[in-house]
Amino acid sequence: MATLLRALRAGRALRGLGGALAAPPATNPQCSSLRRGFQCSMLRLQDESKSDRPPDSSSTTYHEHYQAHSTEQDTTTASHGASAAEPEAEDAPRPNTSYQDQSGEQGEEYETEEQLQARILTAALEFVPQHGWSMEAIASGAETLGLSSASTGMFHNGSGDLVLHFIAQCNSQLTEILAEQHKQVQLGQAEPKKTADFLRDAVETRLRMHIPYIETWPQAMSILLLPHNIPDSLKHLSTLVDDIWYYAGDRSTDVSGSHHPRSPPSSAHTFLSPFHHHPHNIRPATLQMNWYTKRAALTGIYNTTELVMLQDSSADFEDTWNFLDNRIQDVVNMASTAKQVQSTGEAVVQGLMGAAVTLKNLTGMNQRR
Amino acid sequence: MQRAAHTALYDWSHVLGPAMIRQCLTCRAPLQLSSRAYSVIPPPRDTEEKEMLDRILRVDHAGEYGANRIYAGQMAVLGRSRTGPLIQEMWDQEKKHLEKFNEILAENRVRPTALLPLWNVAGFLLGASTALLGKEGAMACTVAVEESISEHYNSQIRALMEKDPERYTELLKVIKEFRDDEMEHHDTGLEHDAETLPGYWLLKNAIQLGCKAAIYVSQRV
Repeated sequence: MATLLRALRAGRALRGLGGALAAPPATNPQCSSLRRGFQCSMLRLQDESKSDRPPDSSSTTYHEHYQAHSTEQDTTTASHGASAAEPEAEDAPRPNTSYQDQSGEQGEEYETEEQLQARILTAALEFVPQHGWSMEAIASGAETLGLSSASTGMFHNGSGDLVLHFIAQCNSQLTEILAEQHKQVQLGQAEPKKTADFLRDAVETRLRMHIPYIETWPQAMSILLLPHNIPDSLKHLSTLVDDIWYYAGDRSTDVSGSHHPRSPPSSAHTFLSPFHHHPHNIRPATLQMNWYTKRAALTGIYNTTELVMLQDSSADFEDTWNFLDNRIQDVVNMASTAKQVQSTGEAVVQGLMGAAVTLKNLTGMNQRR
Repeated sequence: MQRAAHTALYDWSHVLGPAMIRQCLTCRAPLQLSSRAYSVIPPPRDTEEKEMLDRILRVDHAGEYGANRIYAGQMAVLGRSRTGPLIQEMWDQEKKHLEKFNEILAENRVRPTALLPLWNVAGFLLGASTALLGKEGAMACTVAVEESISEHYNSQIRALMEKDPERYTELLKVIKEFRDDEMEHHDTGLEHDAETLPGYWLLKNAIQLGCKAAIYVSQRV
């Protein structure tokens, strides 16, 4: 009797489910939790839209699918109640990408929250010249994707998120460009540049990415200076500088002078290094500190040039690039001066030692009696 | 080249997917710049592993660097004495170790410790001052330092073996080789009358304490 009742209840629930879900339920597993239900229905709808018509562009697919999805919202809540009674029957074929895979990897038909945020922020960048780096821009971006402007609730840091996202995008684009150039050099299709030129080109390329947003860039910079954004912006800056030096061929912990057979002897090795590499004289920390001093120097150059760019009104920012050239020259000069000072110092020390030995000889102290 | 870069710029929104950006940020594994396929460190799977490997490499690099400077200090004092050639030989082996770590650090974009100038000076002073105590002093210093380093390498080997011996075979091989060399130096030091130094026990423990502190700090800074 009890089993009969249970079967009836289950049957009713199933029928309820079948009615609530408009999409063809047959091939898809029943989803037990609300979140899973939400995501499963997204999946189903995506399937549907994919099978029904070939998507011409990803944005319209998402647009339709989201609109279709919003009508599903109420039905999924209804199905939640029913499906809660259902035992968890998650069939194997669908990869369970809901919680575990938050690393940003593209699931098959699946999007994580991070990716969705990234898409919204990218879309929001269009509206930055109009609304500045603010929640309005994000809201407008979300609307372009067909999402409601309330989805800005996802972004707790609002404009900070937007600016950081933009910076991250610029940095990875720069990295791509540098990697491409490096590949060209390795394939022999391009000449390796001298370090100073390489740095100048890299910084210029990176700063040019700000040009479309130059009007609002002061606002962005001030957002980056907010205390809760500082750690992230510093991290981005340090990875940017590290990447540029890496592609410039910097291998500055290499003290011993042995050339790696793979990398062409790059001028970055001797750029800023006070000594020629001396195999048996592992002169110290100055060469190791190169790792830090190079990055510090480049950070200084990049930041000051960025500031200059903000108030540059010349054609195509000529003044900024001249400023950049001059700063890099300064660093080069300083490095060669340091080199000179140190070799002078060495020579002086040797002279003193010679004088001391001479004195000892003269006074007879060197004799063993 | 620049113009191409500039035109590429304006298509960035379509070129880059968000996933790639995350990957670029989270996993800054060595991009394949080297033409050689062989690498001592496996490309890290995630930031946690990268951090762990970074620490290991950073402290090992600092250790070899310090050892170099210690031998340099000893040579500066005892270079022309009878023990000169012996110290020189041990120094040469340390130079090889340092070279290897330099290579690894550069390839894997590991940040060297910022305290290197400090280890430079401290190491040299330690080597020179113990050498001033005579040959036994220099040998005692060698014994103390090499014992610390071997212990340190051993604990690293244990940690890596616990994690995943298969994945880190190359790195383990390198560390084991270096540990064996350091043990050899330790034994050489003992052979050459290190223990006959008055105050040996005190000196040895003081130096080992210093080494432990240096290791702790170099991992983090």
